[in-house]
Parts: sequence; structure tokens; C-alpha cells
Amino acid sequence: MTAHPEIHIPLTTLASIIGGLAVLFVLFYWSIGGKRAKRDSFRTGDPDWSVPTIDAYADRSSFFHQWDPRIKIVSLFLYCFMVVSLQSLCWSTVAFTISLLAVVACNIPFARAGKRLLAMAGFLSMFLLVVPFTSPLQSSETLIYLPGLPGFPFHTAGFFVALLIVVKACAIALMMEPLLGTAPLAVTLQSLSRLGLPDSIGQMVLLSHRYIFVFVNEITRMYRGMRVRGFVPGTNMATMSAMGNFFGMLFVRSFDRTQRVYDAMLSRGYAGQFPSFVRFATTQKDWAKGALWIMMGLFLLFIDRMYGNPFF
Amino acid sequence: MHFMSDEHIPREGELPLYDLDSLSFRYPDGTYALRDISLKIHRGDRIGLVGRNGSGKTTLVKHLNGLHSCQQGSISYKGEPLTEAMLPGLRLATGVLFQDPDDHLFCNSLFDDVAFGPMNQGLDEDTVISRVLEQLTAVGLEKLCYKPAHLLSYGQKKRAAFAAIMAMHPEVLILDEPTANLDPRQEKIFKELLREYRGTLIVIDHDLLFLYDLCDRAVVMSDGAIHHNYSFDQLVSQRESLREHGLDFTFRFSCCGDQQSVHVHQHYEHTHEHPIGAVHAPSVLPVPPLMELQHYSFRYGDGTLGLSNANLIIRPGDTLALVGENGAGKSTLAACLLGLNRGEGYFFVNGKPVNNALRRGLWRRVGMVFQNSADQLFTPSCREEVAFGPQQMGMKGDELNDRVNDALARVHLQGFEDKVPLNMSGGERKRLAIAAALSMHPELLILDEPTASLDPHGEELLTEILESLGLTTILITHDLFFIERLSTRAIVMHQGTIIRDYSTAEFLTDDHLQSVNGLDYSYKSDCGRRIMALQDHEKGVRILPID
Repeated sequence: MTAHPEIHIPLTTLASIIGGLAVLFVLFYWSIGGKRAKRDSFRTGDPDWSVPTIDAYADRSSFFHQWDPRIKIVSLFLYCFMVVSLQSLCWSTVAFTISLLAVVACNIPFARAGKRLLAMAGFLSMFLLVVPFTSPLQSSETLIYLPGLPGFPFHTAGFFVALLIVVKACAIALMMEPLLGTAPLAVTLQSLSRLGLPDSIGQMVLLSHRYIFVFVNEITRMYRGMRVRGFVPGTNMATMSAMGNFFGMLFVRSFDRTQRVYDAMLSRGYAGQFPSFVRFATTQKDWAKGALWIMMGLFLLFIDRMYGNPFF
Repeated sequence: MHFMSDEHIPREGELPLYDLDSLSFRYPDGTYALRDISLKIHRGDRIGLVGRNGSGKTTLVKHLNGLHSCQQGSISYKGEPLTEAMLPGLRLATGVLFQDPDDHLFCNSLFDDVAFGPMNQGLDEDTVISRVLEQLTAVGLEKLCYKPAHLLSYGQKKRAAFAAIMAMHPEVLILDEPTANLDPRQEKIFKELLREYRGTLIVIDHDLLFLYDLCDRAVVMSDGAIHHNYSFDQLVSQRESLREHGLDFTFRFSCCGDQQSVHVHQHYEHTHEHPIGAVHAPSVLPVPPLMELQHYSFRYGDGTLGLSNANLIIRPGDTLALVGENGAGKSTLAACLLGLNRGEGYFFVNGKPVNNALRRGLWRRVGMVFQNSADQLFTPSCREEVAFGPQQMGMKGDELNDRVNDALARVHLQGFEDKVPLNMSGGERKRLAIAAALSMHPELLILDEPTASLDPHGEELLTEILESLGLTTILITHDLFFIERLSTRAIVMHQGTIIRDYSTAEFLTDDHLQSVNGLDYSYKSDCGRRIMALQDHEKGVRILPID
């Protein structure tokens, strides 16, 4: 049987680590908006909606805004696939850094991307918490024993596997900003349609994006209707019954709305396609940008396979 | 049945735009929605399509733009029988505005929504852009043209949906309850735009006062059939006929006559010491009020100010009308009183400051009926719906049954225990929502636009029920008649602030409201007087002078 190095962490050290992580999380939350967003909205008031959102960023000459959406989607998509294929933490961290730079380069407030990461934080932190305690024992890996958990060592190998997944997930989530946030959704979907995505799927995405807000609004109003009559969710049959009725009614209402929206579309001349004046023109610059990203992905993949992890 | 042909209208030699002959329509379950409809609609007609809820009005207009195909009978459009091949052209020439504006705004910005129709008409880009800007400017939304619809207020959405229809320059304009839930200011915008419209106009609305000046012809539907088809003056002058079809709105006229101002001056009172005492009259209440807000403000999560420095006393037995333009903060104030919104300031219930525990229990004291009753009806039967609140209070057995039966009886819904709320009419659902609140025996009942989308018969019944409740109530409404009939005190809100708190009589004679927040009721009052004169003339009695 192979001997494994063991580290026993005292309670105070563990408390310091957890405290430190909590402080980092709060700082991150604060830095991407949180309370500050509220104060900003008082100061600046409503944005000027007479300016198209795409034009609001166009004058910043972003690398991504001035890129043909079709080539942008294909090349960034391929790049993301190559990032997913990375096996070492080191080069995944490099990919994460590239993603951060891409977000900065696309001139969209970092808070948006930060919120995207924050939304994933709960799921990813579970990875970091569960995998190290459940991964199989690797040869010569270091085991860390936490106070109060003598039979459940923290596997460092498992931790690095979880960290690798988290870093790659963050790298790809950040790439969604330059990929999807630098052109109006309708234009992005038009591009996907030109790339072969069936029109019906594009239209479903477009309508879903619009009606998700209506849907959420209906959920809020209906749930409010239950709350004003004293409903407090619990873990009992009464709650299950009430929530079953709630979701059933939501489904029926959504179904009715679908028919009404379709009627409204038909009555304004809908014949299976959303009309559009969007025109695409590809230049050599667009191709060059596409080639750059694919080369970058290939380089990461090559170096990852050839040299692996130089530090661990 | 009092069917009167429209042949009395001189149309010789003119080809009707629509010619419906013996049109019938059945739903898949076999229910007749339309029975033997024969109707001619000519170019330039301005028709008010009226009738009780469920009388077939919406089904009929869906035939007019080809959303429903003809099952029995025939429809001719411009002299030709309507065929499948004609439908695209028909739809592009016929603009239909449905009730819920969210159904119309399916794109990701107002610009795209308004451009959708003209683009489908095959117009070039420049023409589309100019039409979009023209129509958005007409409804006062040009500065919001790249805003997504979910960020608009209800009134703005309604206007945006109207612009989306008008951008197609439709030959025929069909509107289904265009002004439901709109404040008088927004209603006025619609009225002016519709007056300028020169095509064929068909409006479904229960508000005959709104239709009176816009339409010259009335088509009255009942149980899927046309019962009357004559001039609008004839419709409104025959009170018996109106009553027969649940359209008698003349019970409203008590509000519109010349009333003397009753000077019951009432200023903000306070029962607690407060630094800003200078603007408070001394307390005259012998007992603590039921609820009191002092300098209460609320901000939404995004920082928007929903309620600002509200001072309000609600005494036991008060019947308050909460009025103001769309977005004035009325519903926000109601949510604060319910404990759903937690603001900053002083909030007292029966003289006790509201802490977290008291706030969590406010649902036992305050009942709420939402504007759209469908939002609070989610169970498969009326019995379960009404029982839901008392069950949350821990009631069961006979006590629960008694509460349910009593509440249903108070809103005249005995025998509806096993009916499915979703299948009930708008008026019945509204009464059910009231029963669901009453079954909890609330100390205060808040009703948000209780009469929205109800036909006059439903309104009258609801009024009688609300009058008989004898509860402390807050009525959020734009409806002058209900304010006058059901409230003794009016709270006027504007941009999140309470700007007036006085007696209803003073409110009714307040000429300054129009300039303050656009609560312009003079148009309806004027229409009401003219209709009363017509009815008096019909009965051969003294004709009142028309202002």
C-alpha cells in the first residue's frame, strides 16, 4: 500500500480560509454591481432608449462588434470546444485569462459577465466541495484532514480536477459576452439561421427571450396572489398540492397565451418567417479574426497535449 | 330578439367591404359561439360591437381577419367569397388590436414590433423606418423605440401595440377593449387617434361612454347572435333594450350630473408625535386608526421610487378610492399595506408599529383582489379556491365549510362550488376572487380595478355586492362612477406621492386634477349628459340642456 502525504489543518486555519473566501466573494459581488447598481440608477436615471443598444457600444470600436456575426459565432464556438478539451489546469487558466481579456476588449461592462459567473457560483462551488471528498484515491496524492472529519480526507487530486472544470466553465461562460452580447439577439439568430439553424428554432429562441419576462411576471403575480392568502411553502402535502395547482394553472395560461400570440402574429402578416433587413457582408478582416481565434484555440490544445501541466 | 336590419342605412350601389351571410361557428366541444350572423360592413363604417362577456364578439372579429375559418354560412370580402388564398392580403389590410398588449409585442424592441407588420407588407426599409417613427411619435413613445416591451408600463404597452397595428395603415381597424385598465389620460390619447382614423372602425368595448362619440353604428350581440344593428344613438336612447342585453350603463349617470361641492375639509391627521408636525392637523380620532402610514417611502430593487413620503390614515369603516394615472403608485401603496413591499417610514396597525412578525401576519387582516382576477385563481374548483385562505389560517371541517358557503353566498355564487374557475366568465371570476378574500374575514379589503373588462351587467352586480359588504375598503380605480358610488374619501396619487386626501365629493368637483395628473373625466361626463338627453327624448319627457 502506497503511503500518502497527510496534512492536518487546525480549526483556526480552516476558519481563516473560509473567511478569506467569503470576503473575496463579497468583494467580487460588490465590485460587479450589487448595492452600487442601485445608487447608479438614481444618479443616471433611465437609459436613453431612443438609441439602439448595438449603437450604444459601436462608437467604442470593439473588436467583436465589428466582426461579421456568422464568422464570429463559428470561430468562437470552435474556440470554446477546444477550451473544453484542455486537460491541464495551467493552460485552462491561460484560456480563462484570454476570456477575461476578451470581455474587456468587447467594451461591455464587466458587471454583466460577473453576474453570469455569480449565477454559476452555487453550482460550481458544489463541485469544489463535493468532488475533493468523493474522488478516488490517486497514487501519491496529498490528503488533507479537516478538523472534525477524521474519516473523510480532502483529496488534493480531486480538488484539482474540480478546479479544472470550474476554470474551464468560467472561461467559456465569459466568452458568451463577446459571442452573444456584441450583436442584437435578432441579428445573432439571423446569423445562426444563415449558418443552417432551422428558422423555427431561431424564432422559438427569439420568442422565448421575449416571453420569459412575461412568464416570470405571471409567476410573480400568481405567487403574490397565493401569498396574500397566507401561503407559506413547506415540506408537506398541502404545499405540494398548492404548487401542483399553481404550475398546472401556469401551464394552461401559457398555452392560452401561445395561441393568442400566434393569432396576433398571423394578423400582422406572419407567414412562417420573421422579416428582417439585416444584411451581412464578410470582409478579409472578418476571416482574419476568425482564423486568429481558431489558431489560438489550436495553440492552447497543442501546448496542453505536448507539455501538460508544467507546475503540478 | 329585436333584430333590426341595417338596410335603413342608405348604401345603394355600394359594395360592402364585408358581407357575412348566415355565419355560424362552433367550438370543438360543440358549443355555438356564433349563430346565423348576417351583417354587412361598409367602407368608412364606425361600428361599436357590444354585448355581454361571452356573447361572441371576439369570435366574430376573428372571422373578419381570417383567424377563424368559415364553418357554416359565408363571408365575402370586397364582393368576393373569402378563400384561403385571400387570407394573407386580408390580414395585412385588417388591423386587429387584441386585449392583452403583451400578445402583440413579441419582438425584442418596440422598433422591431412596430416594423413587423409593414415589413410583412413588403415595404422598403426607408418606408418602414418612417412609418415606425411616425406611429411611435403619434402614441408618444418615440423616445422608447429601442426599449424591450417588458420594460414598459401597461399603458405604454397598449399604445405600442396600437402603433404596431397603425403602422400597417390598415383599411379596417378592429379594436378589442382598447382602453381597458387605462387611466383617463391614456384613454384620451386613444380617443384622439381614433377620431383621426379615416378607415373602417370596429370597436369592441363595454364602455359605451367611450364609444358614443367614436361610433355611429352599434351592433349588439347576445348568445352568439346579432340582436340589434342600428345607429349608436338608437342604442343608447333605448334603456329597456340596453338592460335586456346587460348593457345598461345609465346607473352610472348619478355621478355625472351637476353636483354641489360638499366642503368636508379633511387634512392629514397624525396620531403619533413626529418632527414634521407642521403639516399635520391635530389628531381627532378617539381610537387608533386601522392603519396608518407616516412619511412612508418604498423603492423597488432597481432603485425606482415607487412610493414617496406617503401619509395615510385608514379608519375602521372607511371606504377609500385610490386614484391616479397609470404608474402613479396605487398598486405599490396597496402592496405596502399588505406587507408585500417593505418600505421606509412609519407604519402602524391599530396603533402598533409594524414589526416583522406583524408584517408577516398582515395577510390575516388585509384582503386583496387583484386587477386581473386570474392571477389569484389557481385551483381546479371554486370551493378549493375560496377555502385556500381559511386553510392557511388553520381552519378545517364545518368551520371551513361555513366560511366557504358564506363567502360564495355573499358574492351570489351559490351553486358554483364545483365549477372550474378557468371556465367562468370574467365577472364570475372577479366575484370568486372577492369571495376568496372575504372568506378570510379581512378587516380591510383592497380591490384593484374591480370593474376592468366587465360588461355593464357585471359591473352593476359587482357594485351591489361591494355596497353590501360593509367593510373597510380601498378601491383602486379610474372609474368615476365607482369612486362616487362606493367611496366616501378619495386619495389622489401622482408619481408615487399622495397629492390629495379629501372627501369624494370634493374630488368630484376638483377642477385642478386634470392639470395635475390628467384625470380628465369631463369627456365622459359630457357623453353621459348627451345620452341622458337622448333617453329623455325617447321617453318624451323634458330634455336636459347639453353643455
